[in-house]
Amino acid sequence: MKQSRWQQRTYRHPYLFALILLFVAFTVNLLLQPNLIEPTALNRNMRVFLPLILVAIGQAIVMIGGGIDISVGSIVSVVNALLATQIGLSGDPATAVLIMGVALLVGMGAGALNGLFIAYLRLQPIITTFATSFIYAGLALFILPNPGGGVPPQFTALYRETVVLWLPLAFYIIAALLLAWALVRRTRYGRYLYAVGGKADAAYETGVPVRAVQFSAYVISGLMAALGGIAMTLLTGSGNAQVGDPLTLSSITAAVIGGTPLSGGAGGIAGPIIGAVILGLIRNIISFANVATWWQTFVNAAIIVLALAMPGIINLIRRRNA
Amino acid sequence: MSLLLSARNVAKRYGAVQALVDASLEIGAGETLALIGANGSGKSTLSKVINGVVAPDGGQLLLDGRPVRFESPHAAKDAGISTVFQELSLVPQMTVAENIWLTREPHGRGGLIDLRQERRGTEALLDLFAGTVRPDLTPDTPVSALLPDEKQIVEILKAISVNPRLLILDEATASLDSRQVQRLFELIGQWKAQGTAIIFISHRMTEIEQIADRYSVLRNGQTVGAGAVKDATVDDLVALMAPETAGTVVARRRLSTDLLATRRTVLQVENLQTGVLRGVSLQVHEGELLGIGGLKGQGQRDLLLAIFGGVPYSGRMLLEGKPVRFTHPRQAMNQGVALVPGDRAGEGLLAIRAILENLLVPSWRMYGFPLRMGRACRDAGAIAARLEIKMPGLDAPVSVLSGGNAQKVVIGKWLLRNPRLLLLDDPTKGVDIGAKMEFYRLLTRLCDEGTTVILYSSDDEELVGLCDRVLVMHDGRISSELAGGSLTTANLVAASLGVVHRETS
Repeated sequence: MKQSRWQQRTYRHPYLFALILLFVAFTVNLLLQPNLIEPTALNRNMRVFLPLILVAIGQAIVMIGGGIDISVGSIVSVVNALLATQIGLSGDPATAVLIMGVALLVGMGAGALNGLFIAYLRLQPIITTFATSFIYAGLALFILPNPGGGVPPQFTALYRETVVLWLPLAFYIIAALLLAWALVRRTRYGRYLYAVGGKADAAYETGVPVRAVQFSAYVISGLMAALGGIAMTLLTGSGNAQVGDPLTLSSITAAVIGGTPLSGGAGGIAGPIIGAVILGLIRNIISFANVATWWQTFVNAAIIVLALAMPGIINLIRRRNA
Repeated sequence: MSLLLSARNVAKRYGAVQALVDASLEIGAGETLALIGANGSGKSTLSKVINGVVAPDGGQLLLDGRPVRFESPHAAKDAGISTVFQELSLVPQMTVAENIWLTREPHGRGGLIDLRQERRGTEALLDLFAGTVRPDLTPDTPVSALLPDEKQIVEILKAISVNPRLLILDEATASLDSRQVQRLFELIGQWKAQGTAIIFISHRMTEIEQIADRYSVLRNGQTVGAGAVKDATVDDLVALMAPETAGTVVARRRLSTDLLATRRTVLQVENLQTGVLRGVSLQVHEGELLGIGGLKGQGQRDLLLAIFGGVPYSGRMLLEGKPVRFTHPRQAMNQGVALVPGDRAGEGLLAIRAILENLLVPSWRMYGFPLRMGRACRDAGAIAARLEIKMPGLDAPVSVLSGGNAQKVVIGKWLLRNPRLLLLDDPTKGVDIGAKMEFYRLLTRLCDEGTTVILYSSDDEELVGLCDRVLVMHDGRISSELAGGSLTTANLVAASLGVVHRETS
């Protein structure tokens, strides 16, 4: 089949669409909020966006490998509940580091459970992670039945106020992740991930360990969700066992805006990072424009439905023109 | 010459079908063996046993004289057996270089993939086919942007890049043009000189004469002959593939062409063209059983779909003298045309639902609202009785039926609409012999009752035994028409392979 020029361009630059959308959202936001590019406002925004950015990166990796992870929001909640109860408002740094390490292991464990069901027992990714999301959500509520607890203010200050060379902490974390991803793409593992997501049968015939690759993608997603949970806790400083709920849909939206097809085998993490920033800006716009907050969910969902329907719509138009 | 690999008495069964009964072959280093046989003779299955895709039920494989058993394609590849798959093993989203070196990426310092070395290696491989492909086929081109012949070439390069001891080429030339085939043959010559053994599966007799040292012929899953290619003529090989048997399992009295000419023309097709078909004209008369034959994938399925309104086409179609142009299967159905799909389980039947429901799926709208169930049951019962479906009752699920009876339900649901023209897409594929016989009796009776049938079948004996006339398709065209005395299995096989017999025709 002959590809359209738009298809060729988006193939070469999967986040082209995201950049255009970023420009539009940024401009609108700037009009509503003229001080947006001042250092303090930049820091205030980026530290709010970072949890979603981290979760969206994990989501994108699963999607590149041909799956989807609906449980990421609940993993964020588990980690938040864990940190808020185990570190506490008067915790010392040593305990905090220990508990954060445990939180990362819990996230990877949750991802490993997803991976076990999907890669080795060959269950449907969407159903499996939807089901396990309730297990993790229940676990979060078990740890922290009522909102409360938290982490000491000096930890949150470290996350919220650290600015090195005029750039907030979030920029350095994003840069580190982009560098790590550039290296992963130059490894055999990176190739396997794209091959499995692209055409699992062909990858198997060629000798790629398909199941191990699928399994690992969910472990990575669990780890990124746990990192997102730590960032979220350091941002809010408090505990709430439902804090991660909105992140699931947002992370999928961010990945899709960022050029990760739901069919797998393509995309990257730069796009999803941009996608997460766009969603953050949209939220800003909605709050500054004084419209009801449910528009936030509406916009997220509308973007996903549009992304799903787009190939079908394009086909329909082509067939009609043919 | 040292013996590299031998397969002895290999057997393999898929459900009701015995794909391989007793297949054997031997191949030495630096030798090219042509594996030949008619449609469904087991060539692909035997090659899949050798490369580890399929586990055999019986027999054994010897590599260097030692028995081996491959659990996966990967194990066979480690043993030096590489395959050019007919259904390609490339990941469309990845580039040419990434696909060729997948799982064998060259690593440089720091444990990262050495992109420069990978690119050089890919360019060296692409140079083998330089001049026969577009110049913009580079290591960085995504496979999804390639033409079918280029994909096939990348698949060949991927298979050869492991420096295999045995290379299996399964219909690898089918999508290549003549220059690319010649280049491939030059390369095969070089690989042979280096000691690589090659199993060459192809339907093109001229290619086999040109490239193969020895041949091995399969018929109905059995090895029926082997020898040196230079000692055999094409006619010898065709005779081995399709012997003239006296009285086939199928027997139906053929209607003569003269008799048919006196009957009404039910369908006339003129210069039908689609993406696959390149100008097909035919006509079929009332009560005729017209067969469509030829190698797989020559446009037979597209022809049936085009008549049924399933694919867009250009050209003229006359149904009982009136010009028609179906753009949707529903229009064809309303005009009394029915298509019975080949994939019974996938397209034809709802296995867990009742026989009654399955029979009535295309016809519910004739029973009003609310549905007049009494009449519906009577009609379905009448059809079931007419087809002699053996069943516990109309409300039993289809899944309890045997293959042949399930087949009757597929046809029965279209008979309820009293079709004038019945299109059958390889209906007996994967059906056991008993069910086939019953199906043949059913078709015979339908034609006697005046239904017109166009039957595409991959079973040559079935076409010869059953049809009044057979049109052989090749590359989107009708290459020959066989009827009366010229409709024999040998002629059909020869026509499918494009072998021209000077004395007949």
